Amino acid sequence: MTDLTERRGLDDAVVYQPAEDSGLLAEAAVAEAHGRVLEVGTGSGWVAEQIAEKRGLEVVGSDRNPHAARQARERGIEGVVADLCGPFRTAAFDTVCFNPPYLPTDPDNEWDDWMERALSGGESGRELIEPFLADVGRVLAPGGVVLLLVSSLTGYDEVLALIEAAGFDHEVVVEESFPFETLSVLRLERAE
Amino acid sequence: MKESLMDVVCCPLDKADLDLDVADRDEEEILDGTLTCTECGETYPIEDGIPNLLPPDMRDEAAA
Repeated sequence: MTDLTERRGLDDAVVYQPAEDSGLLAEAAVAEAHGRVLEVGTGSGWVAEQIAEKRGLEVVGSDRNPHAARQARERGIEGVVADLCGPFRTAAFDTVCFNPPYLPTDPDNEWDDWMERALSGGESGRELIEPFLADVGRVLAPGGVVLLLVSSLTGYDEVLALIEAAGFDHEVVVEESFPFETLSVLRLERAE
Repeated sequence: MKESLMDVVCCPLDKADLDLDVADRDEEEILDGTLTCTECGETYPIEDGIPNLLPPDMRDEAAA
């Protein structure tokens, strides 16, 4: 095995790979994205790649996990290691996409590795959605949109309350039911 | 990273501008270098073409 395939194998093991939620976010983002795009929590970079290829837009893919930023870069996406919207400028992006780690996790049961961080939304399932919504308005240009994936497991009404508190209106772009959860992608715009 | 990324990034701590110091680049991208905050002086590495803009406490944790 070459060093490169070895490294890829390692990256795959610690980076969230595309699943149903990724497909749904990609569908919504390809339809709704415009201008300069940021995908927060890009993981493998697959959603970002769909947006870049199908819409010809410039996409930055950020992730807390350096292995993920590397996979995104291998897909031709500008990869950045970052915590949510932290290192991005005011009004820098027209579209921000986020498929957050959303599974509610018992604190006694946390396994504390990269895959857990990609999946776990803490005890409430909303531990990353909350700070994301509190800061995303800052990086959004006038007329900008946020595309946020929400699972019923995370508490749909609770997420809507956070969206409203952050000063956004929402509409559902796509929704799909699975045996254990319903996934929705919401399009957020600043409330008038 | 492409040089155009400089238009959208800032220091994660105080949101001030960053200064780019290039150690190695090819025609399209900066492969190695440093980003330094013009306000607080904190430095952020660019390695293998990827800037690490985590706040320093999270960066140290991630290195483990």
